[in-house]
Amino acid sequence: MTVQRGRLKLFITGDAPRSRRARANLAQALETVGSDLGDVDEIDILTAPKQALDHGIFASPALVAAAPDGTTDVLYGDLSDMDRLVRFLGFSKAE
Amino acid sequence: MTDQGIAKRATGIDGLDAATRGGLPAAGTTLVMGAPGAGKTVLAQQILAHAARRDESGILVSFEEPPDQLRTNAAAFSWGDRIADTERIAVLDARPQRDVEKSGRFDLAGMVAILDAETDRLAASWVMLDGIDQLLRFEPDEALAVNEVQRLDDWAREKGVTLVVTAKQAASEDRTAAHLAGIEFMLSTILVLSTELVGRRLNRRFRILKYRGTDHVTDELPMVLDVHGINLPSASAFITAESARADNTRLSTGIPRLDRLLDGGYYRGSSVLVSGAPGTSKTTLGAAFAAATAARGEKALLVSFDEPENQIVRNMGSVGLDLQRILDAGKLRLASRSPWSGLVEEHFMALLGWIDAEAPDVLIIDPVSGLLKGASGESPFPMVERLLAIAKARGMTTLMTSLTERESADAEASLSHVSTIADTWISLDYRAHGGERNRALSIVKSRGTAHSNQVRELVLSSEGIDLADVYEYGSEVLMGTARVQKEGEVAQAARRERMERDRRRGELDQRLKQIEARLAEAESEKQRIQAEIDLEEQTEQEADTLSERHAEKVRRRRDAEDADEDTDKENGS
Repeated sequence: MTVQRGRLKLFITGDAPRSRRARANLAQALETVGSDLGDVDEIDILTAPKQALDHGIFASPALVAAAPDGTTDVLYGDLSDMDRLVRFLGFSKAE
Repeated sequence: MTDQGIAKRATGIDGLDAATRGGLPAAGTTLVMGAPGAGKTVLAQQILAHAARRDESGILVSFEEPPDQLRTNAAAFSWGDRIADTERIAVLDARPQRDVEKSGRFDLAGMVAILDAETDRLAASWVMLDGIDQLLRFEPDEALAVNEVQRLDDWAREKGVTLVVTAKQAASEDRTAAHLAGIEFMLSTILVLSTELVGRRLNRRFRILKYRGTDHVTDELPMVLDVHGINLPSASAFITAESARADNTRLSTGIPRLDRLLDGGYYRGSSVLVSGAPGTSKTTLGAAFAAATAARGEKALLVSFDEPENQIVRNMGSVGLDLQRILDAGKLRLASRSPWSGLVEEHFMALLGWIDAEAPDVLIIDPVSGLLKGASGESPFPMVERLLAIAKARGMTTLMTSLTERESADAEASLSHVSTIADTWISLDYRAHGGERNRALSIVKSRGTAHSNQVRELVLSSEGIDLADVYEYGSEVLMGTARVQKEGEVAQAARRERMERDRRRGELDQRLKQIEARLAEAESEKQRIQAEIDLEEQTEQEADTLSERHAEKVRRRRDAEDADEDTDKENGS
């Protein structure tokens, strides 16, 4: 089981309910593979809008994964769809 | 600019500012809906470009096109370089990534944070969100999508920025914004851009679907998209037409005898229609007016839908009108357009552009029927009316020529329509008589002028243009050779009459002399008779005297005889 993704970035907006849900859902998904939020850079757009701008992130919450080839993939939403989140993270148990 | 309490921000697009009575809400959201290609992005960019020119700043968030593509597209417009002014305009690439995925709900709180930061950085007053439907399509719950627009609107109101959100119009029947059903109830300002093919030409339309709490033009207006971007040619007339005022000054027509027929010429600020069949000298009348305008030291703009500029100059030279001289003197601007080259609205915008650039005193459109030939989804007449209203409001005098083609019922209808707009209508015609055609001019109507209704002959020569009286012969009027012949006849008759008069005078003189002679004769006879009478009287008198003397003598002798009777008796008797 290899983590296909590079370092993860989670864009949130302060302490909004969706941001909290996204953080919790991501922590839960990482936990299943023995990881935790320590591997994730959390960026608060309210305090660091420039970073969101640089990444082209206009909707939030958003999870951004940088692939080794330099491209990035984005998953929008509060990450409540666990199947999709796991697939995005690239460590689907099926593999 | 405020109107009924709503603070507005001028867009710098004349037609749009006229239609919205001052611009878009200074603090709040304007939704611009339209089908792909309707001009939503152009409108957003154009507003920003105009803002930058006024030293205002703005942000363009593009959800659909990459920023370099936007710049390339903008470069085609006259204001394209303004968009590249990064000091004032920030273009943000907000296109969703190609493989974007969604897990659960998202919102635009992050976007608000970004916009807020960028607005502060640039001191922006405009924020354009172009193609927001591209992002909101990831939110299948349209109520939630509308909520997110509400979030943006709340921010714009609070921040005091003019937010313009463009969105594709759904193909569905209610034609609301795609992925934003129900948004029209939430936002107070909604503009709709639409397109329609008319005669294979793309006609653009603009409509203010809603502008809550303020006066605005509710009509669907023709929209033009040309090198200057979007404009609404007819909207500007809504403000200018009201300021027109009557002027009593007369302007020479360039033809002295026509001036006399019109009490001195055309009224300043009036509109003149010169109608006629091909070749009846409509252009010449226009050019003569242009020459008279230049002679007054004023400027004329002659827009031809018929001929290229140099051809007009050459042709007018043949009737003694030196247009080149007044062109060189800057008193005339010649411009020509092909009637088929564009929509009526485009011709209209071109005309307005020339009017703005040249600020002429006199506008000549030759022929206005060329303008009417352009394709248009709506009747072109309101456009002509608006043009005349604008001209009038600016104190310009307009002369339009119009081609009459008798075979075409359409043309007749168009003519009658245009003629109702015009203040003065001069009709040019051919009268065929005695094997030749002559140009006839008659004044069909002239508001506020005691004009002559008589048909005159228009005479063109290398010396210039003039009018000649025509002769009525029974039910027809005589022109050309017939007129010249008639003129000859009249002159001959006058000569005959003069000779007759001379003759009669001579005769009378003669008779008078005769009578005088007879009088003199009678006088001398009278004198002779008198003399005779005198002589006779004298003779009689003398005779009387003699006989008296005789009688005296006799008496005396008798007396003596009496005394001598004795003697006589003594002497033997």
